[in-house]
Amino acid sequence: MDLLDDRKRQVVTAGEARAVACDRPSVAGSVTQRACSFCGSRVVLYPIADALHLVHGPVGCAAYTWDIRGAQSSGPQLHRLSFNTDVREEEVIFGGEKKLARALRELVAIHQPKGAFVYATCLTGVIGDDVDAVCRMATAELGIPVIPVQSEGFKGTKKDGYSAACRALDQLIGTGSTEGIGPLSVNILGDFNIAGEIWVIKGYLERMGVEVVATMTGDGRVDTIRKAHGAKLNIVQCAGSMTSVAKLMKEKYGIPFVQVSFFGLEDCADALYQIAKHFGDAEMLRRTRSIVREETEAVLPELARIRKDLEGKKAALYVGGAFKAFSLVKALRQIGMQVTMAGTQTGGPADYEHLKELCDSDTILADDSNPLEMASWLALRDVDLFIGGVKERPVAFKLGIGFCDHNHERKIGLAGFEGCAAFAREVHATVTSPVWSLVPRRAGGRLA
Amino acid sequence: MRKIAIYGKGGIGKSTTTQNTVAGLAEWGKKVMVVGCDPKADSTRLLLGGLAQKTVLDTLRDEGEDVELDEILKPGYAKTACVESGGPEPGVGCAGRGIITSINMLEQLGAYTPDLDYTFYDVLGDVVCGGFAMPIRDGKAEEIYIVVSGEMMAMYAANNICKGIVKFAQSGKVRLGGLICNSRKCDNEKELIEALAEKLGTQMIHFVPRDNVVQHAELNRKTVIEYAPTAPQADEYRTLARKIDANKMFVIPKPLTMEELEQLLVKYGLAA
Repeated sequence: MDLLDDRKRQVVTAGEARAVACDRPSVAGSVTQRACSFCGSRVVLYPIADALHLVHGPVGCAAYTWDIRGAQSSGPQLHRLSFNTDVREEEVIFGGEKKLARALRELVAIHQPKGAFVYATCLTGVIGDDVDAVCRMATAELGIPVIPVQSEGFKGTKKDGYSAACRALDQLIGTGSTEGIGPLSVNILGDFNIAGEIWVIKGYLERMGVEVVATMTGDGRVDTIRKAHGAKLNIVQCAGSMTSVAKLMKEKYGIPFVQVSFFGLEDCADALYQIAKHFGDAEMLRRTRSIVREETEAVLPELARIRKDLEGKKAALYVGGAFKAFSLVKALRQIGMQVTMAGTQTGGPADYEHLKELCDSDTILADDSNPLEMASWLALRDVDLFIGGVKERPVAFKLGIGFCDHNHERKIGLAGFEGCAAFAREVHATVTSPVWSLVPRRAGGRLA
Repeated sequence: MRKIAIYGKGGIGKSTTTQNTVAGLAEWGKKVMVVGCDPKADSTRLLLGGLAQKTVLDTLRDEGEDVELDEILKPGYAKTACVESGGPEPGVGCAGRGIITSINMLEQLGAYTPDLDYTFYDVLGDVVCGGFAMPIRDGKAEEIYIVVSGEMMAMYAANNICKGIVKFAQSGKVRLGGLICNSRKCDNEKELIEALAEKLGTQMIHFVPRDNVVQHAELNRKTVIEYAPTAPQADEYRTLARKIDANKMFVIPKPLTMEELEQLLVKYGLAA
């Protein structure tokens, strides 16, 4: 296919020797699927359910990121509201700091949150509002931690927004008491509890005898994050967004971390074993073995049935972080499907090297792709399924290709062993749907 | 109507020169509006006899979009019409955006009436961002005069402003009308500024000598023309007003390099 010259280095086939160029700003005019750095910080922090999330900027920034992931909470639901200082012409000219301070005072009085995050946007960054100073004063005045998030949208890529969010979390971690936290304790980093995944993972860990201190940030709470430095191990799932918090905590508090994935039978079992081995507790290891055996046996027959229908079908995927891509390649293989194209928004050099090893030699690998590129690959490889997020859905549907959401819009959890079955069921229902025989590309019409 | 913007280094005497020139034109029977584009809102003090003016932006803030023209347009010396854009306190917000908003507001409210002979924009010292260039965007001021003295930094600022004019001249009708030398009694000042003007491809339209009567008039919140109408300095401003009225030389300036500017200083200033 025709690629923009500046994009050529970011696309390879897995068998090629050359590396995927990545970790660079999007090419102007390529219509990237990436969001801005403000949006990056917002998706990471917003699942903290008992915090006030206040966007300091124009109303659009708040409206378009309102409940952006549908993250579930087992308690407070404050995070599902979107608060905004509604910065307009007048604040641009005279400064928005006073309005921000007023908004914080008013909102804290109404909602009694445990903490607050104040997100800087492009506009308030340009006019130079001192968000740090307002947050410092509000913290002193209101008696709760008010944390500035330096997430001006123009400052880098979505990944830079993740870093801004991590720096904000870092300000909160270490401010609570760690009394009563036991030796077999962990934090779960990088799961956002879109469809209850955190509860599934927590369930396994509890059965293993592992105490979960804080979850960041799915079903997260301000007070548990404040004492997260009392945990003895960090489990990092979404590598892109949370590895930097894990690294910071290792440096500051000496807490080691493991990178895992709870998606797919293989990865999920591996994750639980890694945790058990880390603690070196024989009894825990025994319990883990029985959990894995029990859970795997429960879903294997169904997976085998599904595999019969899906054997040899082709899939493409485009996701945010690389860890999700690894897991998806493995999980699809388990149900007999072959991945012919895989891309990520935020993968790093090592991630793409690993992806190359994982994929077939003719699989197309792409960093920071765009709708036109993806549409052409989906057509070229004549795939049966495309997996992505909300922005990828129309690309698939316009071509008449089945689509599964693996991002913000899910309502059925795909994590853990039971999640594998749910995933397989969803893929099966999508790929085998009779509707695809009626779309133009199958019914003999012109391919979009 | 002729629309004129006055630029120059901060503290060079833009506001004083503008208001005295405007007084000269108004005394002569011309209908003039002055738009102050400095957040300090002190561009019309001498014409109004004090800072009696509520700014466009303050009015907008206090009363919302339903602003009446007579709330922000005050009559000053010899039937001049005076407006101050205003802006934020130092250190907060975006003063440049303030000027954009304010000028748009004036246009919406119909401040630019057909009976006006002149509109003068008096703009904050350095064109620090896009907002301060608003008065010279297309359809706004079409003539620019730069107030300058023989001091290095004043000339440096004038040269920088010329770079801004070049940019806007390429996309619109704005042209440089000349340099106004507001004397600081530097060595060979007149020759130096004349040489600078020549290099820039423009003219020194007038040399305004230094005279203490300007300070006295300012302390009394008046232009020299109102405070001491018979003083020689009043005639200097009258002359400047007539020269601007008769001016036909409008150019796209050719800004100097730093080396050229320094050479000029050595030749006329230090070498003297």
